[in-house]
Amino acid sequence: MSRDGVAGLVVLAASLVLFALTLDLKDSPLVPIGPGFYPRIVLGVTAALAALLVAADVLAMRRRGAAAASAPQKGNRALVAVSFGVFALYAVAMPWLGFRIATFLFVGGLNALLDPPRGLRGWGRAAVLALATTLLAWYVFERWLLVLLPRGRWTDF
Amino acid sequence: MFELLGAALLGILQAKYLIPLAVGTFVGVIGGSLPGVTITMTVIVVLPFTFGLDPLQGLAAMTGVYVGGSAGGLVTAILLGIPGTPSAIATTFDGHPLARRGEPGRAIWIGVWASFFGGLLGGVFLIAATGPLAQFALQFGPWEFFALFLFALSMVAGLVEASLLKGLIAGALGCVVKVLGNDPVMGQERLTLGLDVLEGGVDFLPVLIGVFAFSQIMGEVERAGGARRFAEAVDRTVSLAVSQLRVLAEVVSRPLLVLWCSFIGVVIGVLPAIGGSAANMIAYDQAKKFSRRPQAFGTGTPEGIIASESANNANVGGSLVTIMAFGIPGDAVTAVMLGALTIHGIQSGPLFIMQNAKLAYGIFAAYILAHFVMVVVLALSARFMLRVVTVPKAALFPVVLVLCAVGAYALNNTMSNVYMLFAFGVLGYLMVKYGFPLAPFILGVILGDQIEINLVRAIMTDSNPLLFFTRPISGALIVLSVASVVFAAWQHRRHHGRLAAAGGGETDF
Repeated sequence: MSRDGVAGLVVLAASLVLFALTLDLKDSPLVPIGPGFYPRIVLGVTAALAALLVAADVLAMRRRGAAAASAPQKGNRALVAVSFGVFALYAVAMPWLGFRIATFLFVGGLNALLDPPRGLRGWGRAAVLALATTLLAWYVFERWLLVLLPRGRWTDF
Repeated sequence: MFELLGAALLGILQAKYLIPLAVGTFVGVIGGSLPGVTITMTVIVVLPFTFGLDPLQGLAAMTGVYVGGSAGGLVTAILLGIPGTPSAIATTFDGHPLARRGEPGRAIWIGVWASFFGGLLGGVFLIAATGPLAQFALQFGPWEFFALFLFALSMVAGLVEASLLKGLIAGALGCVVKVLGNDPVMGQERLTLGLDVLEGGVDFLPVLIGVFAFSQIMGEVERAGGARRFAEAVDRTVSLAVSQLRVLAEVVSRPLLVLWCSFIGVVIGVLPAIGGSAANMIAYDQAKKFSRRPQAFGTGTPEGIIASESANNANVGGSLVTIMAFGIPGDAVTAVMLGALTIHGIQSGPLFIMQNAKLAYGIFAAYILAHFVMVVVLALSARFMLRVVTVPKAALFPVVLVLCAVGAYALNNTMSNVYMLFAFGVLGYLMVKYGFPLAPFILGVILGDQIEINLVRAIMTDSNPLLFFTRPISGALIVLSVASVVFAAWQHRRHHGRLAAAGGGETDF
């Protein structure tokens, strides 16, 4: 099965699980149509389309032959996964460390990950970028636009 | 109408509106000139800065980004041969050869003036058509709105270049996102999956920001890593000096070309989710077909630049019409603008122009003025753009992600929107990797609630389902929805048939 087939199966499974959950939704006594009416239509259509995608993929595979199933992917997927991980850490750390510390660490860390600094000058540049971004974002949003950015539960900063 | 427009133009000239407009246009020009940074990403970055502004200030800034970004792509397209945005692809065909022939200033300014006139012609359509279209939409009941939203979704799903089936699934998935958490009719909780963040439903802005920003940034990271710059080597000594009168005359002396290509841009702008990237290519193709010297296209002819640039800026006017008259975003940029309206508690749609005439005409005025500002910004900063493109992506991407996080957080000062941003960022990246188009997904997220509300209202008013087909406008829209899917299926099949005949292309349908 090619990537289309796999994607189709994932969508099919998710929509069927959600469809099953809509069966537990109770109708409201105030309106003739309950909260599960529309979700069942949408999820049913999604499941049907996903099943069609799987079927189309299986038919296409038979025509093409299994050998042509999946070409190897080029690109740095590990770097993408780590970059997502760094952002996830940033999102999790923000309420604990506060916006300013978390942002400083995130910008410096992701910058260093994407373009590893060479020598002291490189690290200095990454630190300046992180500091400038943090201070500018904090000043513009908190002081000027009056958006109260998260304070850290651990740092109170 | 003219009184309102005149008053709005005078109003927008006040510093409190002119400054956000000018800053937005400047940022748009920079974002547009950076290859790999789309206008959507630029407007997403600007969005959180508009939260503290009044609605017109915020929308003026966004309009400036849209207009500036649509023109900014021409700088790198012409000087480096790398289009800053997809809407400037056709500009490279003749702009870059003309620059390489030693006339970079002429090439740039032909593009700038073509953008200016194309954009203003788009503005004429925007001002003239929005009111009558909104009046027409006022005749709509829930049946017609349901059919209209269905038509928009089916058309977007069918028009995307990926497979039709994936386009339809993407649209359906967008609607699925909106059924999670909350029933919009009765406000009843549903399908929260036991997650606190889903209680109350899913805001569309974190979805939009996450899906577009992450898919683009992570795609770039995957392709090139972060160490690369937008352009490695740039000749900063290049002279852009040119006789403005001569260049202006070159554009004005081709009124039919400007009019025809602007018309193409407007029409494509009105259709949801096609956008400037198609407008400039179709206009270029049309200009070549109607030219007396088609063989000159691709060698540095001014007609090629005029066609592309007038179409992509006129496209902006068309996109704004759909959102202001029907509440349906014409593209991702107007989807973000729709989000900005929602944040300020303003409902877009047919009643928008009547209930918020001052704001609507303020947007028209900002749109017109943005073109003058764009010319000034490009006159002052075209050379500066050559320095901007040497910024390392590794420095830009973390900053953009921080602004995305702040934008999501500031919507209602909760971290749950940042977690949503991340979750949909991952989903958006995976969708792109697996070949699912993002435009129908986002439209599904935006229209999902409205489709449900209008469907339920229609059935609660009269339970006869045949009314969807027997009411003239509703019936016509449903027929058009089916026709657009059938037409798209036929087109995809023909395309893949040709590929197979040419030597075995992959069947994607």
